[in-house]
Amino acid sequence: MDVRSQISMVFHLDKCIGCHTCSIACKNVWTDRTGTEYMWWNNVETKPGTGYPTKWEDQETYYGGWENVNGKVRLKSTGRGRIVPNIFHNPSLPSLDDYYEPWTYKYEDLFNAPEGDDQPTARPISKITGDYIDIEAGPNWDDDLSGSPVYAESDPNLDVLTEEERAQMFGIERLVFFYFPRICNHCLNPACVASCPSGALYKRGEDGIVLIDQKVCRAWRSCVAACPYKKTYFNWSTGKSEKCILCFPRIEAGLAPACFHSCVGRIRYLGVLLYDAERIEEVAALPPEEMIEAQRAMILDPNDPEVIRGARENGIHDSVVESARNSPVYKFVKDWGLALPPHIEFGTLPMLFYVPPLLPVMSKMQDGQIESVSDDLFHGFDQARAPLAYLSNLFGGGNTGMLTYALRKQMAIRMHRRLETVGDVDPEVVERMLREADCTPEEADEVYKLTSLCTFEDRFVIPPAHREEAIEMMKDPQEHKRSVGFGFLAGPKRGS
Amino acid sequence: MQRPATIRWFRRTPVALAVVAAALLFSATTAQAEDPAADFKRTCSSCHTIGGGRVTGPDLKNVTARKDRAWLVKFIVDPGAVLDSGDPYAMKLLEEARNQRMPNVAGMSKARAEALLSLIEEESKKEKSRFMGIQLSDRPFTDADVVRGEGLFRGEVGLKNGGAACIGCHTLGGVGGLGGGRLGPDLTKVFERYENRRKLGTWLSAPATETMNPTFRDHPMESDEILPLVAYFKHANTNHEEDTASRGLIFALLGLAGAAGAVLLLDRLWRRRFRAVRKPLVRSAALPSSNKRTAT
Repeated sequence: MDVRSQISMVFHLDKCIGCHTCSIACKNVWTDRTGTEYMWWNNVETKPGTGYPTKWEDQETYYGGWENVNGKVRLKSTGRGRIVPNIFHNPSLPSLDDYYEPWTYKYEDLFNAPEGDDQPTARPISKITGDYIDIEAGPNWDDDLSGSPVYAESDPNLDVLTEEERAQMFGIERLVFFYFPRICNHCLNPACVASCPSGALYKRGEDGIVLIDQKVCRAWRSCVAACPYKKTYFNWSTGKSEKCILCFPRIEAGLAPACFHSCVGRIRYLGVLLYDAERIEEVAALPPEEMIEAQRAMILDPNDPEVIRGARENGIHDSVVESARNSPVYKFVKDWGLALPPHIEFGTLPMLFYVPPLLPVMSKMQDGQIESVSDDLFHGFDQARAPLAYLSNLFGGGNTGMLTYALRKQMAIRMHRRLETVGDVDPEVVERMLREADCTPEEADEVYKLTSLCTFEDRFVIPPAHREEAIEMMKDPQEHKRSVGFGFLAGPKRGS
Repeated sequence: MQRPATIRWFRRTPVALAVVAAALLFSATTAQAEDPAADFKRTCSSCHTIGGGRVTGPDLKNVTARKDRAWLVKFIVDPGAVLDSGDPYAMKLLEEARNQRMPNVAGMSKARAEALLSLIEEESKKEKSRFMGIQLSDRPFTDADVVRGEGLFRGEVGLKNGGAACIGCHTLGGVGGLGGGRLGPDLTKVFERYENRRKLGTWLSAPATETMNPTFRDHPMESDEILPLVAYFKHANTNHEEDTASRGLIFALLGLAGAAGAVLLLDRLWRRRFRAVRKPLVRSAALPSSNKRTAT
């Protein structure tokens, strides 16, 4: 067992209202510089939709992530033999058009225009060239299903559906969508780190945050091609790649990352997980249907004495283990089995988990009212407005089992709360629902509390950063002990 | 950090260059001053013999008796200037050489000229000088000579001392499919220019031009290679094909086809490369819906 610690995240999709506050918070803090205009370290997508960059999930086009070749994982986009023939041009890079051309408006025209019959307008200009442009795309161009016949219908996750299911999904009064906020997953098996020919990317030992060393990056852009989530971006101004840094300066100061802190729907949870690094390769080589369960098994119980001993051996501070015990992420992922990783089949073992959305998937219109109760307890999982196959392609690696478990439990908890607050449900039915969903009333209350009544302290359990220990690795704090006077370079001495 | 380093380098460069230049100059002068015989063979023997009779230039046997030494030194160091000054003796020589001007020799100095004259004086005393020039047999050329000569020219038969084949730099009416190189002059009429086998053969034994000298200095041709080559040049002088314009066209077309082929090959090799996603998506959505599924 090789115990390591990782700051992990859970996004509760049922709570996301798609307001993009997270994106704006991130943009204002990190990516308002020249060369970063088009970067959205945090972005919110509407599903079904093609996302940003367009159709990033289609790895037959982008070649991101890992593939399994004879039981061994290897990068889809590059490798030892493939880097040299492609040295002058990386063949799998999204173009600016597949992100979008960043723009602003020529506001001075509003003030400088000569008097005339028409209102002056501020025409859009490119933020890269400064020329007038026709805006054709944006980072959330397909927001709220806009442009559906182009974008939503081209969602790569729809490929697993039958023609009939597809037609149903886009039928009038059945049309369904939910929001999918994305940041870097800070994966356990990051393809970006593996692909970098300069060795500029690394996964921080103490908290697993994946970073790009701006002094080592040599603009190969292999990480841009290799990341299946397309969460590394190339800064055309500095000639270096950049990505989400999980606001590590804030985390080290005990604050939640900007996007977490600003989240209006309070959908975001953050906490430490302990995991067994020895099993990464083995798990990444599994077939996608088994991967979610295996990844969950890699996450270790911070109350297990053996795990605690292993953590100590690896230099993980006791306070971090203590923090892992209170981690809301551990509860969502391990204790309750509600949160699932996105697109586990890409093989990077993402450490950002999503609670799959129940609404509007489960509800339906009845007599002009939204209805989510039915005689059949777990009614219509098969007739859900978003087909299960669609959701399981996103969050289940094609395996509906874990997904159904999470949806059922959420449904049962909802009924349990309805019994308490409204009281129009038969207690026996609720009891049966909870039992069938593998959930006790106590657990249901706990889930409810962390979902609906959570404070900052509940949502963000940030471990102490222990920078002093990190610094001790490089510098001896005792170095100047017993040296004399003011100034270490030239202390006072006799005769001078 | 960067700037001081560059400035330092710039300041040092002239010094370094001067040192290198001085070293080169020193090595060059000493090497030539040490062995006038080698110098003669390399510099003079393509046009002159000692006691072998006139070739391109006059026979130099007893040349010091024919003209005073000071004039000779002046002429050797800078023949161009002397010829241009209209010196009567130089004019006479030029006429004898059928207006073939003696070229200026790079790096020739008074000391070198003196050494060469001393060598000529010494060799003139001998019955048989080692600089009698190449002795080519007078037998009539056979067809076999011509065939072998063509082989040597085209590089199908290698030169014994490792010299480069002629076709690398020269062309000759009708040689090869696409003609030879364009660096050196066209050799179709070379036999006519040099009048006879002796002159051409002597020249080939130690080519003196700027490009050929360094190429053949350390890889001289043997006399049994020179003879077939001369035979081939004589043959080509009369039996050659005209260099037609179509040949240039063929070459250009072949080049174009090759480039197109290379582009197609690269396109095939990188067929899985990323092209575009969003634009084709939008374009295909604008198509009638019956085509849409297949297009996306």
